[in-house]
Amino acid sequence: MGVWKYKHITPTIIADKLSLIKPKDLVELADKDMEQVYSMLTKTPYNPEISAISAQERNFISFETALLKHLMKTYEKIAENSPKDVRVLVYAFLKKFEADNIKTLLRFKLAGVNTEEALRFITPIGKLDESRCRKILENSKSLRDVVEQLLTLEYGLVLTEPLLEFEKTGNILLLEVALDKYVYAQLWTAVEKLKGLDKKIAKTVVGTQIFSANVRIILRSKAEGFSQDEMMRHLIIVPEVFDEKGLEEVAKTTDVKECIKKMLETSNFAATKDWQYMLKDIAKGFETSRSLEFLDTALDRSLLRTNLQMLRRYTSFFNVGSILAFMNLKWVEVKNLNSIMKGLEDGFSPNEIKTMLLLPD
Amino acid sequence: MAVELADVHPTRQELLKLKRRKTLAEGIVDILKKDLDVLIVTLFDYLKSIPSTRDQIQDALKEGYKLFIEAEMLTGARKIEEISMVVQPIQFEVTKSTKEKVLGIAFPAFELSQGNTIPSGPRFSLLDTPRNLDESASKIKNALNLIIKLAETEACIREVLDVIAVKKRQINRIEYKILPRLDAAIRYVELIIEEAERQDAIRVRVLQRKRKERAMKRG
Repeated sequence: MGVWKYKHITPTIIADKLSLIKPKDLVELADKDMEQVYSMLTKTPYNPEISAISAQERNFISFETALLKHLMKTYEKIAENSPKDVRVLVYAFLKKFEADNIKTLLRFKLAGVNTEEALRFITPIGKLDESRCRKILENSKSLRDVVEQLLTLEYGLVLTEPLLEFEKTGNILLLEVALDKYVYAQLWTAVEKLKGLDKKIAKTVVGTQIFSANVRIILRSKAEGFSQDEMMRHLIIVPEVFDEKGLEEVAKTTDVKECIKKMLETSNFAATKDWQYMLKDIAKGFETSRSLEFLDTALDRSLLRTNLQMLRRYTSFFNVGSILAFMNLKWVEVKNLNSIMKGLEDGFSPNEIKTMLLLPD
Repeated sequence: MAVELADVHPTRQELLKLKRRKTLAEGIVDILKKDLDVLIVTLFDYLKSIPSTRDQIQDALKEGYKLFIEAEMLTGARKIEEISMVVQPIQFEVTKSTKEKVLGIAFPAFELSQGNTIPSGPRFSLLDTPRNLDESASKIKNALNLIIKLAETEACIREVLDVIAVKKRQINRIEYKILPRLDAAIRYVELIIEEAERQDAIRVRVLQRKRKERAMKRG
């Protein structure tokens, strides 16, 4: 069965990959104005969503919503055309966006925002389409009501216990962290169900995502001086990616510089070349700037590099690597377009915008 | 003035008292003028610090807002707006006290402090927001500290100006009212004393002449 199962999805991926905006063209967009960017995007696969924005509604929020709608449409198309075992992985990947929608529902319910305003911030995906989200918002007066309505989905059970803690402390982060941990656990479970080369590739790509998420949490916790307990509460523990013993050694460090150095020395953190490169980039950046404002860009660039290396290391097609790589490349393209648009709207110079872009090496 | 001079006893003792009072008043004016010089120097020191503090505030705010926009570029403005609706705000308080700096004058001192309601952990999701948001918050907090420092400087300047006004009024009162009054009183007493001496001298000469005439008549 092997590679034959990819006969439907591979042509889709090849065609979609060819229609990605070239890095050179993306960089040139930073030199243009917003109208020119809109005009250019109508000549790309984003056309239906971009053209649907009326001239009066043209602003960064509507632009961002249009791009996300296109992204969700692309991901759903990939999921439908993927082989059965890979489909499980793709849907697990989409749970991140479902979880984002749930966080939006929770946040807006807590803030007391009306339904129509809240729905502007929802990008329908999977089981959380617009009608379900509207129903949840209209039929709930509190976060408890929202969680109870989510019991028909898997997320309700995930949020039941943290909800009790939230009702004591009023800290909504407890619910958000529970969702993040669940989503990544589901993603890893889907990876474990793959076999052979697919499993090897998926472990590298998804492992790097989980590793990157945890590095983000650790370094930000160190920089802000959060306690070890607070840090541990947010970490995504996947034993194969994140060994608890190695984590204890890192947690004992007192500042960011020592923390990065410890992560490079501790074998579990520097287990793969990709993670070593990621940590070395961060160490270099911190040495130069003595701050972590470059952290997110460095981590995202590392993820992009890992995805592209998967394509180079193994054959480009007929394995899960091409699917995961394309999904991440598409996500990076949307992020870059958002960065360009936001930068243009707020008067950033072209050079300032270009430093924020995630481009392949 | 005539009414005031009526209260002055034209005696030598009074003259001595008046002269002593004049010396004291002149000494007080000297001291007040020296205090005024010190206050003016202090005022200029404060004034010099204002442009640099304003520049620092400008830089901190510019950097803070730039980092905030970068956070929106990385994460999306929708996410940041969403998170801002539920994040626990930090309650800042400004405590006012006084400090002694120049000439024992109590200058106002302001201190920015955070309320007790800050959570010990993250205020927003570490995965959904970029590090730039933390750095932006830090820059804005730094700007707040500088704004408080600027407010303190401006309050001190107002205090210094008030004290300068008081000192100037005191100097002017002594120089243009008290000293001229004292001078006038001294001149009046000296005049009366001179006149009395002149009258005495004339009386003596008349008596001497009459004695001489009597002596000549007898002889």
